[in-house]
Amino acid sequence: MRIHFKQRPGRCPTAVSLWLLAACAPSYAAELNVSVLDPAGHGSAGIVLLAEPQFDLPVKRVSRTVIMDQRQKQFVPNILVIQTGTGVDFPNSDQIEHQVYSFSPAKTFQLSLYAGHKYPPIVFDRAGLVVIGCNIHDQMIGYIYITDSPYFARSDDAGKWAVHDLPPGNYRITAWHPRMQEPAATPLQMPVSVAEGTPASAVFHLTKPLRPSREDGADKRWTDY
Amino acid sequence: MDRLLSRLAGAVLTLSLPATPAVADYGGFDASADLLAVSSNGTPSFLDNGLGDLRFDSSHQGLQVDNLRFGYRTSVADIVHFDVEAVSYADRQSNPIDLTEAFAEIRPFPSGPWRSRIKLGAFYAPISLENRLQGWRSAYSLSPSAINTWVGEELRTFGAEYELDWLGRQRGHDWEFGIGGSLYGWNEAAGQLMAERGWAIHDRQATLFGKIGQPNSETIVDERLLTSEGDGNVGYYVNATARYLDALELRALHYDNRADTSQYSASDNQFPWRTQFDSAGLRWTPTRYWTVISQWLSGRTCVGDEDEQYCWHFDSEFLLLSWQLGANRVSGRYDRFEMHQSSPDDETGDYTNRGHGWMLSYQRDINRHLSVALEFLQIDSSFNGRLEIGQPAVASERELELAARLQL
Repeated sequence: MRIHFKQRPGRCPTAVSLWLLAACAPSYAAELNVSVLDPAGHGSAGIVLLAEPQFDLPVKRVSRTVIMDQRQKQFVPNILVIQTGTGVDFPNSDQIEHQVYSFSPAKTFQLSLYAGHKYPPIVFDRAGLVVIGCNIHDQMIGYIYITDSPYFARSDDAGKWAVHDLPPGNYRITAWHPRMQEPAATPLQMPVSVAEGTPASAVFHLTKPLRPSREDGADKRWTDY
Repeated sequence: MDRLLSRLAGAVLTLSLPATPAVADYGGFDASADLLAVSSNGTPSFLDNGLGDLRFDSSHQGLQVDNLRFGYRTSVADIVHFDVEAVSYADRQSNPIDLTEAFAEIRPFPSGPWRSRIKLGAFYAPISLENRLQGWRSAYSLSPSAINTWVGEELRTFGAEYELDWLGRQRGHDWEFGIGGSLYGWNEAAGQLMAERGWAIHDRQATLFGKIGQPNSETIVDERLLTSEGDGNVGYYVNATARYLDALELRALHYDNRADTSQYSASDNQFPWRTQFDSAGLRWTPTRYWTVISQWLSGRTCVGDEDEQYCWHFDSEFLLLSWQLGANRVSGRYDRFEMHQSSPDDETGDYTNRGHGWMLSYQRDINRHLSVALEFLQIDSSFNGRLEIGQPAVASERELELAARLQL
C-alpha cells in the first residue's frame, strides 16, 4: 500500500463510515461490499475489516481520539480498529484500579495504577496489532488494530461492511478477529479490484465459527488466588 | 440475643465507615458481613470439643452475624502491592479479630511475555480453584469443598513465593503458563488436625494469631497455634498453572513442609508434623453460563521419631457444577474424602475417616452491596475416633444456611 499522509485541497465529502469522519478526502464513486460468513452461512458480526489501497493514495493525517474504557474488569470495547495517528483514551470506569500496558512491537506503553480519567490519550503511530493488558487483572485483554488505510470498520450484525466512496483501483481486503480459529494464517486477506460504476464485492467464508466469548458471564468480583 | 445485637451493631458500624471502593482489588479498604440463619443436626465440631464434619451443630443454630471481614490493599512505587485480610467469627474465636493473610507482592510491569512475581508474608498457596472472592472465600458456595476447607484450616504460607508467568495471550497465543515455588516455615502443626479429626466442610479459616483446637483436649484436637515452628527446617512447594483463554485453568502443586518429626518441643508440648501432598485441579468454563471445577489432593502427615512414627494418609476430590444467569447462580458439588492411619503396630486401632458430601447452593446478587445465599449441605461419614468421646462412629449431618451478605 502506498498511502501518503499530506494535506490535500478539496471539499470534505460524505464519510464512508463513522470512522472516517475526520478524514477529509476527495469524493469518489466506486463501491465495495464486504461480507463475512460463518460456516452456517450467517453473517459474522464484529470482524475487523480493512480495505488497503495498492496504489498511491494521498490521505490526510487523522487527529482524532477514540475510547477504550475499563468496565467490570474488561476493556470496552475490547476490539478497536483505528487509523495510524489516532489517539486512544483509556479511562477506568471501574471502582478499582487498573494498570494498563502493552509490550506489542507496534506500541509499547505503561499506565501506572489508576482509577477514573487520569492520563491523556495514547497515540498509536505505527500500523499493526497491539494487545492491551492489565497487570493486576491478567484476564483483561484488549486489541487495537492500527492501519494506514482510511478505509476500515467492524462488520455489522449481518456480517457486512459497505464502502460507497472508494477511489477506483486495486485493494487488499483484510478480515481479522481475535477469536477466529481458521486453519489458515490470520488475518484473512484477498485482493479486490474496484472500478467506478460497478460495485465490487469480497466475501470471506469462515471455515469454523468464532470461539465463544465467555467473558460476559464472568463474575467480576473474582480475584486471583 | 444480646450477642447477636452487639455483632449486628458492629457490622452496621463497620459497613457504614467511609471507604474508597466497593470492592477494592487494589487500593483501599473493603469489608463485608454475613447475617446467617442456620439449621443443623450436626454433632459438635472440633471447635467445640467434638469430631463433627460441619462448623455448626444442633447447639449452634439460629440467627447470627458472622464473617465480619476486612480487607485493605495499597501500593507503593506502583509495583509493590500490600494486602491484609482480617476476620471476626461469631463463635469460638480466640481473638476478637485476627488476620488470615498479610503479604506484599512485587509485580513489575511485563516488558515481554515473561513476568516475574514475588510474594512475601503470610498467604495461601495456589491450590484452590473455588476460593476466588476477596478474603479467600468461595465464589460458588458458603462452605468450600473438603479439600479447601482443610487448606483454610491448616495451611498458610509464611515465607516467600516466586511465580514466573508466560503471558501468551499478549503474543496472540491461546495459552498462558506459569511455574512457581515457595520457601516457608512456621507450619509444623499442619496435618495434625487432619490426623485428629479427619476431613470437614465449613467456611472457617484459621487465623494467623489464633489457636486451633481446645485447651487440655486429650482425645480430640489439642490446642496450638497455626504458626508452630521448632525444628528450623524450611518447607517448600512447587506449582504449575496453565490457562487456555478464559475457558480453562489447570493447576498442580507438590507440597512438603520438611518437618523433622524427631524434634520434640517441650515448651509447647508439640511434635513437628511432616506433611507432604500433591494436588491438582481444573476450572473449565465451557460456556458463559457454566463453570466446572474439580480438584484432587492426596498426601500424608507423619509424627514421631524413627522408632515410633505414625502416619496418616489422606485424599479427597470434588466435582462442582455451577450455572450463572445474570445475578443468579446455582451450584452443586460432590465431595469424597478418606483418611487412614498407618502405624508401626495396631495399638491405636482403626482411625479411618471416610465419607462424602453433597452441597447445593443458590446465590443472588441483589445489588452491589447485598447478596443472598441459600445452601444445603449433607455429609455422611464414619470415623472411629468419635467412639472415644461417646459419639457414634457413623454420622449423617445436614446443614441449611440462609445468608445475607453485606458488602461495603
